Amino acid sequence: MPRLACIFVPLFPLAARLRSEPDLKGEAVVVVEGNGNAARVLAGSRKARLCGIEAGMTLPQARARLPKLTARARDRESERAGHEALLEVADGFSPRVEDGGDGVVYLDIEGIPGLSAAAVASRPAAESFQPDESELQARPSSPFSDLSRSAERVLGQDLIAAVERSGLPARAGIASSKLAARVAAGLPDSPRVVSPGEEAEFLAPLPLSRLAPEIEIAATLERWGVRSVGDFAKLPPGEVESRLGELGRRFHAAARGLDLRPLEPRLPALSLSEGMELEWPLVALEPFLFVGNAALERLSRRLEAQGLACRRLELILKLDPDGCDARAIALPAPTLEVKTLLTLVRLELEARPPGMPVMGFTFAAHPDKPRRAQLSLFGPPALSPDRLATTIARLASLLGADRVSSPRAVNGHRPERFASAAYEPPAPPEIARPPRAGRGLLAVRVLRPPVELEVIVDGGGRDLLPLSLGEGRGEGLLVAPFRLLSLKSAGANGASLEIAGSVRIAAGPWSMEEGWWSDAPAARDYWDVELTEGGLYRIYRDRASNAWFADGIYD
Amino acid sequence: MSALPALVLERILETEGVAKNRGCLLSGLGARLFRASELPSCAAEKVALPTAVPALDRLLPGGLLKGSVVELSGRRSSGRFSLGLAALAAATSAGQAAALVDLGNHLDPQAAEQAGVDLRCLLWARPHRVKQALAAAEMLIAAGFPLVVADLGLCPGTRFLPDAVWVRLARAAQAQGAAFLLSTPWRTSGIAADAVVSAAQARPIWKGSGRAPRLLAGLDTRLTLEKYGRVTPRSAISYQLSALSKDDSLGRLTADS
Repeated sequence: MPRLACIFVPLFPLAARLRSEPDLKGEAVVVVEGNGNAARVLAGSRKARLCGIEAGMTLPQARARLPKLTARARDRESERAGHEALLEVADGFSPRVEDGGDGVVYLDIEGIPGLSAAAVASRPAAESFQPDESELQARPSSPFSDLSRSAERVLGQDLIAAVERSGLPARAGIASSKLAARVAAGLPDSPRVVSPGEEAEFLAPLPLSRLAPEIEIAATLERWGVRSVGDFAKLPPGEVESRLGELGRRFHAAARGLDLRPLEPRLPALSLSEGMELEWPLVALEPFLFVGNAALERLSRRLEAQGLACRRLELILKLDPDGCDARAIALPAPTLEVKTLLTLVRLELEARPPGMPVMGFTFAAHPDKPRRAQLSLFGPPALSPDRLATTIARLASLLGADRVSSPRAVNGHRPERFASAAYEPPAPPEIARPPRAGRGLLAVRVLRPPVELEVIVDGGGRDLLPLSLGEGRGEGLLVAPFRLLSLKSAGANGASLEIAGSVRIAAGPWSMEEGWWSDAPAARDYWDVELTEGGLYRIYRDRASNAWFADGIYD
Repeated sequence: MSALPALVLERILETEGVAKNRGCLLSGLGARLFRASELPSCAAEKVALPTAVPALDRLLPGGLLKGSVVELSGRRSSGRFSLGLAALAAATSAGQAAALVDLGNHLDPQAAEQAGVDLRCLLWARPHRVKQALAAAEMLIAAGFPLVVADLGLCPGTRFLPDAVWVRLARAAQAQGAAFLLSTPWRTSGIAADAVVSAAQARPIWKGSGRAPRLLAGLDTRLTLEKYGRVTPRSAISYQLSALSKDDSLGRLTADS
């Protein structure tokens, strides 16, 4: 006989709303459905219920009883996120989990209580389940041992604690059928364990409303004077079926504890999402980020509970009055850091504002396994992959995704060429090794983009030629030897980098030609130039445009 | 104990003629009284990360101090960019990860590879502004990089940066045990740097003269240790950098002074 557990979140619309707005916990709050004065109370907090507010009241009626009542509209997005969180908690306990609808989850616990039997044995007696004396007298020869019952009760307590950690109140029931487990979970003394084969006895004293009969059947049974489940179960099945039809037959079977519906396990979700519908439209970024931060924190906690991290974040904005805006943010590596995710969201929205007020939002995280590294005892310390991923994401958000990388050498002749790749450092050596001896090479500080120059040259006996050297050229080459006299960055006062001075020594030219077959060929003559004022530059003349540039500083 | 009561107590001790000898004559508060010069040198306790540049490793005993800020200042063509690359080459050739914050986007990956940098181990961050550069450097230090080189380019706008920025960086390096090399055209980090080296009086070395073709052979630069811990040593070393990758005659220590 299978053993099933049911987790039930009472007053689910309210519980989901309070999970999104934890500041309201402890306040007199109601969740309403509908607009204006026609809005009706769906669920109320304990403080509200103590003031006489009940489900079904209109909001004005509720406010008449408690003027300071806080009312929130029903938030389907919060409910969906809360229900997902509930399913994930169940996934952490069992591989077979059924989605039972809003705030209800069934899970197959076959074999799981046995795992916690040792834990039960090690717990203090006060914490263990002690069956009532009446219960023992009623079932003296039950094959279901006290140890098994205690183990299941411990499992139920663990389930409730895990759900409460995810921000939802919960009750749990354990039985051999979904119906009995669901009814047991609805009872206030939680967790409630129903021994195998004792479902009918468990249900018998309960009022019929616990089985949630359809309205027409409930009215008929009330006219018959049937009050409890046990009274209904004693009626002959054939008679019930002939009078109440198929619906009555099923309801009668349920009253006798017969529930043959199997558990229907769900498929695991490919992405996790959190979000909420807002009370009023938001037009500024900061308030949105404030509420978004809380949603991302919940998302991060859910990912962490499953040992996962966010690899890609999708943001779906519900716009006012209608429409939605969806965008995706790719992360360089899986991360759980809320600050990083929030910064990326901020940058994304700053770069591309939605253009309309936001009425609701959903963050969907595509999970991936976080990277792990094996540390070495004798080698240099490796970077923590998680911290590295987070840092790269933050740097990408600060500088731009293309400005954080690992450089790569490229074949070619243009000095400004470079390539980059994602930074994935190799594992450090297992044993620390000394650094290689330095080569003492003089490096060039590449100027990207190159600085345009005005160059004065001595034309070999002719007048000093300014920048335009077209007169002395043929086929793009200088005909006569000439000497560089001085150079100055074009528009020196406004230029980002000022280069000016007389040439002390110049070496060159060295010709470079590349990509003559392409749309952007490069044909240049290079000089190394030392200025009398100091500074050692690499300059070139572009043969096509006949312009001079400095593209590097020896430094 | 704050500075003022300590000074008052020291003055009283001097007027009373009590020799200040910690732990002998005084007890309690007085036993904890000592002069700043008696403080143990932080630098002396730190482990150094060799740069494989003999001049730097001699000026800064062993290399860049882990957990501290080393500032390398020098004008254009002073050789400081080459020294930064040499430090990166030393760290990455030992299999360690290193980061370069390159404010002016000046790195030539081909030249860096030729200088011995293992590009796979190098993270290259290219900020647009100096504030971004310093924020990036702080993030990289906090991420656990053993060596972070921040090159502030040719004309960074550091004038309006508060001193707290440098103190934050020094604190971050100290907390993570990272070596942080700050390469700037002029001194900027104030008191936050544990060691300051200036590169100046650089002189290009040319081959060929007269009507013969000229060839740039290298750069002769002079490195001066301007600050180390709490002392001002002012020791200097000349160092030659070779522009020719196969020329063995340069790229080594030439003279001490």
